[in-house]
Amino acid sequence: MGSDEGLWGSVHLHIRASSRLSGLYAAKAFMIWRKLWCPLHLSDAQRLRARKSCGAMDISNKGPIGRLTSKDTKQTDDRGFSDQSLNGLRDYPLGSVRYVATRPPGLSYQMGGCGIAALISLDGRPVAGDKIRSMLTIMEERENGLGAGYACYGLFPKNREDYCMQFFFDDEDAKAKVESLLGEHMSIMRDEKVFTRKVKTLRPPYPIVWRYFCQPRRSKEAVGGMDPGEEDHVVNLVMHINDQVDGAMCISSGKDMAVFKGNGYSYEIAEFYDLPRYSGTLWTSHSRFPTNSPAWWAGAHPLSLIDWSVCHNGEITSYGVNRKMVEMAGYRCTVMTDTEVVVYMWDLLVRRHKLPISAAAFAMAPWTYKEIELMDPESRRLAMWLRFTYREAFLNGPFSILVARGQPVPTLIALADRKKLRPLLVGQSEDNRLAYCASEECAIRMVDETARTWQTNAGSPFVAQVGKGILRDGSEHPFKVVRE
Amino acid sequence: MPERFVPVINYNTCRVCKRCVNECSYQALDFKDGKVVPAGGCVACGRCISVCPASSMEIRTVPSQFPPHGNWTERIRRGIYAQAGSGGVLLSSCGTDGDHPVIFDDLLLDAAQVTNPSIDPLREPVETVTLLGGRPGKVDVSENGVMRLEGGEKPIVVMDMPLMIGHISLGSVSYNTQKSFFMAAKELNIIAGSGEGGLHPDFYQYADHICTEIASGRFGINPEYLKKAAAVEIKIGQGAKPGHGGHLPGEKVTPLISQTRMIPLGTDALSPYPHHDIYSIEDLAQLISVTKEAVEYNKPVGVKIAAVHNVAAIASGVVRAGADFITIDGFKGGTGSSMRVIRDHAGLPIEVAVAVVDKRLTDEGLRNRVTVCAGGGVRCSADMIKVLALGADVAMVSTAPMVALGCRVCQQCHRGLCSWGIATQREDLMQRLDPEVGAQRVVRLFSAWNEELKEVMGAMGIDSVESLVGNRDRLRYQGPNPKIAEIMGVKHIGEGWG
Repeated sequence: MGSDEGLWGSVHLHIRASSRLSGLYAAKAFMIWRKLWCPLHLSDAQRLRARKSCGAMDISNKGPIGRLTSKDTKQTDDRGFSDQSLNGLRDYPLGSVRYVATRPPGLSYQMGGCGIAALISLDGRPVAGDKIRSMLTIMEERENGLGAGYACYGLFPKNREDYCMQFFFDDEDAKAKVESLLGEHMSIMRDEKVFTRKVKTLRPPYPIVWRYFCQPRRSKEAVGGMDPGEEDHVVNLVMHINDQVDGAMCISSGKDMAVFKGNGYSYEIAEFYDLPRYSGTLWTSHSRFPTNSPAWWAGAHPLSLIDWSVCHNGEITSYGVNRKMVEMAGYRCTVMTDTEVVVYMWDLLVRRHKLPISAAAFAMAPWTYKEIELMDPESRRLAMWLRFTYREAFLNGPFSILVARGQPVPTLIALADRKKLRPLLVGQSEDNRLAYCASEECAIRMVDETARTWQTNAGSPFVAQVGKGILRDGSEHPFKVVRE
Repeated sequence: MPERFVPVINYNTCRVCKRCVNECSYQALDFKDGKVVPAGGCVACGRCISVCPASSMEIRTVPSQFPPHGNWTERIRRGIYAQAGSGGVLLSSCGTDGDHPVIFDDLLLDAAQVTNPSIDPLREPVETVTLLGGRPGKVDVSENGVMRLEGGEKPIVVMDMPLMIGHISLGSVSYNTQKSFFMAAKELNIIAGSGEGGLHPDFYQYADHICTEIASGRFGINPEYLKKAAAVEIKIGQGAKPGHGGHLPGEKVTPLISQTRMIPLGTDALSPYPHHDIYSIEDLAQLISVTKEAVEYNKPVGVKIAAVHNVAAIASGVVRAGADFITIDGFKGGTGSSMRVIRDHAGLPIEVAVAVVDKRLTDEGLRNRVTVCAGGGVRCSADMIKVLALGADVAMVSTAPMVALGCRVCQQCHRGLCSWGIATQREDLMQRLDPEVGAQRVVRLFSAWNEELKEVMGAMGIDSVESLVGNRDRLRYQGPNPKIAEIMGVKHIGEGWG
């Protein structure tokens, strides 16, 4: 356990950056009571500097604190709130069911706010997991202990060409069922238990977390003489397992990547998986503040399918429409969240329909028709047809998403909705080795005091690639190819 | 037979100007012994009330003169007397006036609170632009310094609202009525249907905003009629009379109509019930191909069907046959003349029809290949919003704009005596409708609806209409029959999002 600091902070303004919408300013200013449980290997002074650069101010030091259990000594902050009132969401009634790999009954949609953070190594040098953990855990108001997760790319150099299929199992029975299915459709090169450890504050049940490195075994008979292609073979298998096998959920299935997620605070999940033991070239992360969903391990973000993973802060008001589109394309919704649909949509538009990333982003967060009229004729044609053809791909409502893709080169995409209703900030280190994305500036300052930060435009994607650098900074014309 | 309505004149204030007597096209008023008196046959069209300068006119519903009976209603008995007297089928007009449940009214709309912001259409863009046409399902983009659309485009119509004025033929309504609608469609930048009565040469100037119709009677079809229009629609059926063809009583076939339709003067214009070159789905596919060929692939070609019990499978067949758009006309759709037995007893309510069609097309992976228009019982902006949320890209309305022109829904269109100059061919009556004024009233009505659509979408946190289309998650059912909700794919009130 670390120390706790109470901080009164006046938080920086989020300016809704949009060169295209009527100049609206959404100014959020909160007075914040921050309790910083600090698992980080940073000095107090460093942490303080990260805070101060966001306008926060240290006023006192409080004693050690356990954040969640009601047996902790009751502490009261200056406004009279007790820890229990802040953590009451975690006090499940005795005997209440918590879900791991089994879908909670009746679940059809999850909503709420979230914190997102990502970092990408532009020069290809791997980064250890404690950095992303620092970025995510600092954004405390953005989570309430009901889910957090991390995705890491470029972390299995020895098995780079194998699909790493990582599962949550409720029990050995589910594991056996999945293994027989895997044996049928894949050649398992190697499998191992994913390292996990008990975390005092995380209430059981814990899932069995297991990973299999495998190669698709595509028997002609299995698919009626038609070969769907390697990726679709894996996609179909994942969909089948998540839909049909009780007590098992495939949480990631891409090459050279894995997802580490669960039902808890971001720092608990990092501790559960011992995140610093992993290094990768691209990290994304997510912490949840759900308003309605039961505790469900598999429902946490990132949600992932083959080489895609998505962390999503938002509530898609067009979910019913978007879901139709992916179901028409053969995807099966098993997690029942709007985020899941976003994953499938990127897979459909970019991998299967071969749209350039910014054209896919345009379909999801298009310009208005009035703005399209101002484009040059060729761009106007493309814009009209993207909107008309992919009307079901339009993600309406507030969102900021981090999309990572592992193949052919690990790529990070960050995109905010076309009205910029949820925060998204981008940064680049002084030496140009790293790029960052986050909901809040403090997340970037936490790990890089001198980074250059900027806001992407509403609906305009930030795109960066490992080894290539930043391809789009989020201010470009959607149909101009900026850097190959 | 006892009268149903009776005009009552307040003789204390009546100025004896006799305007009401002159204006009553049904001759239900007479002038005797120096005063205006009822002459029988009042249909409650309300014309006399609107022209009375002294506000001395009132129409009263005569209390039933039949001994009360819960089963043998007055309506049933009147029908028997009429048929016993004439030996004919009962004709009627407008949509069914039966006491059917209105599913629209059992649906409640959603709104955003806290977890996502609602949008204020007065301050931020909320889009209602709607595109009509076939959809490719996939776009090819080339990357060569600049992204470009690869390959050919299909024809589309860009409209400013998800609304179209339905098909109302010249013949069923007057020249001035059609002119009002076409002028309004042009000003609103939406589409109006020509109906199956051809297109008068005067109206070619509005052709960019007209969807012409190929019906089984093939009235008034020539190359120009097809090529100049914004879109072409093959009419298979109509919601008010599924399984029947158009019916224009001979009284309405004046020289103007006979020229436009290319039919003899004074004859009933009865469209065959089927197209006699379409006896099955593959024949429809051929007619769609022929039509596309005729318009040189420059216009969307659609198909209109009446909502019947198997509508979902039929719609899927129609899309597979190559239709760029499909129009579904519900059970409560209007008509200028229809057999009452069909109008009141055959078909499927549009709320259910559009939901099952949308679902079926989605299940078959066809929904992103087609534009769906739906109407037949859309009375107000709330109905329009709900029909969109149930799965229509475009809401088709016809009776509402006629009401905007003055129609009182007296259900006498088939008699051709419309005192408002709407559903008539009599020159003197037609002149009561000024197309300029009529067009303005329709423009104002639809603009108001569109504003209400934006307000509702904004409240839901949706800023473009395509994200409302088929978004049944944002509806809840509060009616008496949850089975309907289940079929429509709409959750019950009290059920959240998960």
